Amino acid sequence: MLVITRKVDEAIVIGDGIEIRVLRVGKDGVRLGVTAPADVAVHRLEIYNAICDANASAARDASDAALRKIVDRFRRQASPESPK
Amino acid sequence: MNPENPENPVIEMLSPLPGFENCKRYVLMTAPEIAPFARFQGLDGSKPSFLALPPQAVVAKFDQVLETADRERLDVEGNEPLLWLSIVRIDGDRAFANLRAPLVINPRRMLGLQVISADEQLAISHPLLLD
Repeated sequence: MLVITRKVDEAIVIGDGIEIRVLRVGKDGVRLGVTAPADVAVHRLEIYNAICDANASAARDASDAALRKIVDRFRRQASPESPK
Repeated sequence: MNPENPENPVIEMLSPLPGFENCKRYVLMTAPEIAPFARFQGLDGSKPSFLALPPQAVVAKFDQVLETADRERLDVEGNEPLLWLSIVRIDGDRAFANLRAPLVINPRRMLGLQVISADEQLAISHPLLLD
């Protein structure tokens, strides 16, 4: 990890022009401003990690057999008038 | 359902799905007997395969709107229809839909994105009602 110390209103630039600026430092944390092209996604790390985990878990058990089971049970509860 | 079938149009992800950075291209495999579910099948890298269904099939009043930046990325024009899909995770006898980060696809341009919503009320693991 590259470690850089910045004061309020100072910034770093990443790659071709992604900029991260320190806007405010307070007891609730550090407020950061991110300037990046529209095609670059920016997320809090913990939510990004949570989505990674959810995606990995979803891809792990996605066999045709698993799909059939879930589909049948989902459709049955979705149409209560069908015979059980 | 053969993912390499040339009749299955290829969707290009503008950013790969988090955790699957080696896969940019997917095909969407649907069939009446599995509706409203579909299979979102990766063609590159580890060829990840996901079960998915529209978020409205999970929560009827799901009505997320894309932010401007994402609309631009997906080249959305006006009110043209987009395809929204929530990835399904199976855990034993239970299944969960990711309402927080749906796949959003522009069918006209065959471009897609996994959009992470800022709405913390939307669950990453929303339980599916199963019989």
